[in-house]
This record gives sequence, structure tokens and C-alpha cells, in this order.
Amino acid sequence: MALQTSKLSFDPRRWPLSIRVPAVVVLLMFTVSAVVTDRVLSRLASTQSRHLSELTNAYLDGISSSILPHVLRDDVWETYDALKRAGSQYKGLDVNWTTVVNADNYVIASSAPKQFPLQSQFALEIRLPKTGSTQLFLDGAKHVSRFRRQIIYQGRTLGTIYGEIGISKLITERWDVLKALIITNTLLTLALAGVGYLAVRRMLKPVAVLSNHMRVGAESGASKIPDQQLGHPNGEFGELFRTYNSLVENVAERERLLKHLAEEERLASLGRLASGMAHEINNPLGGMLNAVDAIRRHGDRPEVRSTSVDLIRRGLKGIRGVVRSALATYRHREEDRTLAATELDDLALLIAPEIKRKKLQLEWRNDLVGDFQAPAHPIRDSVLNLLLNAISVSPQGSTIEFRVTADAKVLQIDVHDSGPGLPKDVSDYLNANDARTLPLEDHRGLGIWIVKRLLGEIRGSIHADTNARRGSRITISIPATRGKSLLDVEYENVA
Amino acid sequence: MRRQIARRDLVVGGLSSLAISPTFSNVASAKTDVIRFGLTPVFLDNDLALLKRLQDFLSRQTKREVQLVQRRTYEEITSLLISGQLTAAWICGYPYMAYSKQLAVVAVPLWRGRPLYQSYMIVSADRDATKLEDLKRDLHAFSDPNSNSGYLVTLAELAKIHQKPEDFFRRSFFTYGHRNVVRAVASGLAESGSVDGYVWEVIAEIEPNLARRTKVIVRSEWLGFPPVACLKRLKSLPETQAVEHALLNMQSDPDGAEVLRLLRLDGFVAAPANLYDGIARKMREARSLG
Repeated sequence: MALQTSKLSFDPRRWPLSIRVPAVVVLLMFTVSAVVTDRVLSRLASTQSRHLSELTNAYLDGISSSILPHVLRDDVWETYDALKRAGSQYKGLDVNWTTVVNADNYVIASSAPKQFPLQSQFALEIRLPKTGSTQLFLDGAKHVSRFRRQIIYQGRTLGTIYGEIGISKLITERWDVLKALIITNTLLTLALAGVGYLAVRRMLKPVAVLSNHMRVGAESGASKIPDQQLGHPNGEFGELFRTYNSLVENVAERERLLKHLAEEERLASLGRLASGMAHEINNPLGGMLNAVDAIRRHGDRPEVRSTSVDLIRRGLKGIRGVVRSALATYRHREEDRTLAATELDDLALLIAPEIKRKKLQLEWRNDLVGDFQAPAHPIRDSVLNLLLNAISVSPQGSTIEFRVTADAKVLQIDVHDSGPGLPKDVSDYLNANDARTLPLEDHRGLGIWIVKRLLGEIRGSIHADTNARRGSRITISIPATRGKSLLDVEYENVA
Repeated sequence: MRRQIARRDLVVGGLSSLAISPTFSNVASAKTDVIRFGLTPVFLDNDLALLKRLQDFLSRQTKREVQLVQRRTYEEITSLLISGQLTAAWICGYPYMAYSKQLAVVAVPLWRGRPLYQSYMIVSADRDATKLEDLKRDLHAFSDPNSNSGYLVTLAELAKIHQKPEDFFRRSFFTYGHRNVVRAVASGLAESGSVDGYVWEVIAEIEPNLARRTKVIVRSEWLGFPPVACLKRLKSLPETQAVEHALLNMQSDPDGAEVLRLLRLDGFVAAPANLYDGIARKMREARSLG
């Protein structure tokens, strides 16, 4: 089926629908996923920041109230102990350290005393604002958040609480969410793309059926879609299939009519030829009857008898030629396997009356020697049609050239007339590679259609070279076929 | 240091006068059936299960309701004891000697077979210090200003080299608990500390991760173990007698033995004569600097 077997190109416009639709689904899902992921992560980051801020404030509220009396008394141990207790009580916060400094920025106590020794000047590398009661700073690079709150009692600043909170868990949570989103969205996208692929394939299956029938029809004649594949009459494809089947019926009917017309044309030609043949036979008959009369009256005279018999013999030979040619022309098709050179020459006899009637010159040259491996009947029919066409279009007194050349593989026949040239639609039709249907109006090109059809049957080709001044040259080429020669010449022994 | 001692003397003086007042006598005797037993951080008083067992044991042995009374500082418990608000209290030898005129020993614990203990000077485990002089300019953690091992001994040792804590150390502070001294030194909050040797050894046994972050560099001579004391005038009360009896027979009672096992003590005995002379000597040495 064309839908499945099309070779995938890099150009998406050439992709089949069953690929394009899932690809669009993937693209859309990717875009939606990217937007959703961005929104979710932004929201998560904002929620985390808010929670962190709330937790930090709760933590600071707790320790600032608990350490206030100790800071007032400069009680190192109780301040330290309060910080340590608070650090383990706030499970939601990963407090790295908390340090309390006095108003002169000296450390009163720290939960990390080795890092911030007692009585040392508190000097943190990061810049902390000097104003405000509580601030929170996120240092994403170090995965920490730092805070600061002043300890104010009765309007007096007793000191400041500094601290650092690890936010690795929050960062990890974001990564986990991102990973979960990517995995979920990827699986969802793949699933939807798969569903899209299957759905589109299913939806396009009737198109494939139609496409298949049309392709096969183009190669070897259109055939109807079987009833079981027609589907519901009211469905989109049911209607289309039925329309297609009507079209196939119409084409078949037209072809049948054309064949009928062709047969009638053939019979008409036969009629014309028969009248010519009658004339050809009638001429020697007069002489022969005279000879018979002469024998009857003067048969005892040897010279009269001999002359009369010779005359009768010549006359009969002439009649035999005409009859043999006619028989060869209308011999049953199945008997044709090989074309004999004489079978082409016989055509000259058949058209001789027409040539004579129009006072035409026939330049006949047949280079074929012996037999050519190709069915005789279609070749003779084609050539006879071409010759009759040439005669009909050639003005009186003009010349018709007939040439046959052949080698072991190809037989080539030229028919050159002196007519006004072929109409363009006829020459285009002849030169077209595939001209199965007849594009010509009425049946003035019926002979041409027959030629084209006959040559098609034996894989022959035709080429028309037409010119208003020089007339038309029509060339047919027939490839040799393998098969034994079955030409039987009924009058071989007679000759 | 002088300020601390001076303040304690004032408080003791005041409380002493109050203790004999009728008001406090009434308060103390108002609930004669209830035994109020004071506790100080002379042992690991942060173990609530241990406290419950001790309370149950005393209650059962004395056949009375026993209330364990804890305060943050030695001073508070000593004040309550002196003022007659406690039947007895497990206090340090230093306040006992400071108030030896008012107080009497009910019983003294036996640790490793003797009613004696030492004061330790500890530093962080990774320090090279080996003697007191190495601790100059340190941040030093004391236990309690009324503690013998956690303050007085170091004070006396400094006095020997004519130094006062505020001059010798860069800064000192009180943690009000021997275990807190160990924590302060282990965490780096303090560079050195003065701690009860008995408490440190028990911590080394039950909290080795904490103790191993510190090391002992100076051990004092053996001194009288912190006693269970009471007001002399209340020693003959049935409640006090009941407490004394319970403590002295503690090791022969299964529950008492379990409490002793938890305390890593061998039992309680009556105080031998002159048990706290060493502490009295330390007090004199400390006062020698004025």
C-alpha cells in the first residue's frame, strides 16, 4: 500500500499522514510539556521560597524569643543550648548554623562554635544588608539560604541572629519534579503519538484501499472495490467507494463501446478492401473466361490450349495473391506468433486498389528478411491502419513511403505520407507514453486508438513526427519476443 | 569570681536568717508527710527514667510521698535546703562546706568503692594541651559557681599560680551542669572546661561519642564525693531519718541496686570524719587571692 511503503524523506511535507499526524502530536505535546514544566517549576520554586521564608520566620520567632533573656544576661551557654535545641526541633529546616552576635557584632554564641568562635568578630563573606529586621537571601550556587534578624528589646538593638539553611533538599525536590515531569510527559507523548499513528492509519485505511485500486487500475485496468470493503453507504468513504465503482463501470463501458466501434471500423475497412479485391479478381476473370472459351472452341489446337492455360494460370495466381493477403489479414489471432516479411508485403496488395483509386505513388521498401519474432496480427493490423490513414489524408498524385528495417531485437516500420500533418491532439496522443483512454473527439482517431492499443499489447511503441509541409512520419518499433515461428503459408506448395 | 562569691555569701547569709524564721519553719513543717528531695547536677540529672526510679525507690522505702526538686543552679537548691524547704538534697561538697554550720550529711555515695571523686580539667580531644598553664587565654567552661569540681578546684589551682580566672582565661562562662561542660568543650564552644570527674567517667561509659571528643589533661586529688545533706536541725525528723535509712540500705534493695547501677555508684554510706577537709582546703586556697 502506498501509505505504508512510501520511503520516508527528510522533507516533512512528503511524509505520509500516518507519520505526520503523530509528529504534530509529538511537537504539540513537547511544546505543552515545556510550558507546563516551566510553570510547574516556577510555581514550585515560588512555593518553596514562600515555605522557606515562613519556616525561617517561625524558626527565628522561636529562637529570638527563647534567647532574648540569655542575650540580655550575656549567657553564653544558655544561648548556645537554645540554638542547638531549636536546630533539632525544626525538622522542616536544614539549619547549617545559627550565630548570635551582640550590638558590636561580636559572637555571643553559635550553633557552630568552631566556625564562629565565641567573642570573635562576626564577618561573613556574603554581603548582608544593614537594615531591616529579617532578611532571607538565597544563594543558589551554594545551595544555601542565609538569614538575618535583629534582636530588639524595648527599642534597643541587642544583637543580630545570622544563620544559614541548606536548601539541597529543595533543589533535589525540584530536580525530582523535573525528572518526573520529563518522564511522564515523554511517556504520555509517546503513547499519544502511538495512538495517533494507529488512529490515523485506521482512519486512512479506506484511502489506502482506494489508492491501491487506482494504482493497480493505472497499471492493468481499473477494477471495482469489492462489496465487503465498501462500508456504510452514508459514510464518507462508503460514498466515495461507490462513486469510484461507478466510475470504473463507466470506463469499462466506454472501453467496451470503443472495442465495438473498432470492430465496426475493421469491418468497414474489410468492406472497402473486399470491393477492391472483387475488382482485382474481376480483371483476370475476364481474361480467364476468354481463355476458357478459346479452349472450348479451339482446344484441339495445342498453341491455343497452351496460351489459354498460361493465361488462366496467371489470372489464378493473381487471384491467389489477393485471397492469401486477405486471409492473412483476418487470420485468427491465436495463430500469430511470428511475422513473416511477406506478410507485410501482402499489405501492399491489399491497399493497391486504394492507391490506384487516388492515383498515389507507393514507395515500398521492406528490409525484413525471413521472420521476426513478434505476433503478426497486431503488427499487420497496426500497419494496415497506418497505411489506410496515410492514403486517406494524402492528396491525389502524392507519394506514400513505406519502410521496414529490422534486426534481431527490434522491428521498425515508417509510414510517411504527404498529407497536411496530424492534428496536435492526435500527435500528442501518439507520442504520449501512456494513452490508455481516447482523448479524441468522436471517432476520427479511432484507427489511431486501435494502433496504440494493439502496439501496447505487444510492448511496441509509436512516434509521430508531423509537419504541415512535409506531411507526417509515423514510426512504430516492436521488440522481438521469444517463441517459435508458427507462420504457416497455406499456398507454399502451390507456388 | 570575687563578685560571684560575694553574691553567694550574701544570699547564704540572707537565707540563713530566713531559714530559722517561724514562717519558713511553718512552710517546712506544713507538709511533714511529704519528702522534698533536692537534686543538683552532681550526677546526670537529665535522665528522667533514672529520676523516676529514684523517686519510686525513695517513696517506697520511706513510705511517703517524695517530690524531687530540681533547679537550674546549685545555689537555688542550696537556698531551698538552707531555708528548710527541702527535706534533704544531693548537693556538692563545696556548698555543704560553705554551710557546714547549718548542714549535716545524710549519706555519701560510694564511687568505685570510695566516697571520693576528682575534678577533671578537659580540653578538646584534638588539642595538645597537657597542663593547666597550656590553657592560658582559653575560653573556659565552668560548671557552676557553687561546684567544687566544676569551679572551686580550678580556682584553687589558679590561686596556686597567683592567677584569677578572669585574668588567666580569655573568657569563662558557666554551663550549670557538668554534662554541659563536656558538650561545650566537645562542640568547640569552649576550649577547655572544669568538670566533675565522676560525671565525665559516666558520660564516657554511656555517651562515648560525646566524651571521646574531649580529653582529660589534669586530674585533681581525691576529694569528698558530693553528699546528700539536710539541715542539722531537721536531721532527726522521721522523714529525714527515713531518707537516710533508704539511702544507706539502697544496695540491698533490688530497686535501689538498679538505681545505683544506673548511677554507676556502689552505694551510700555515712560520711567518714574529715571527708570534706580537702574541699575546705580548696576554699581557703581560693580565698587566698582575696
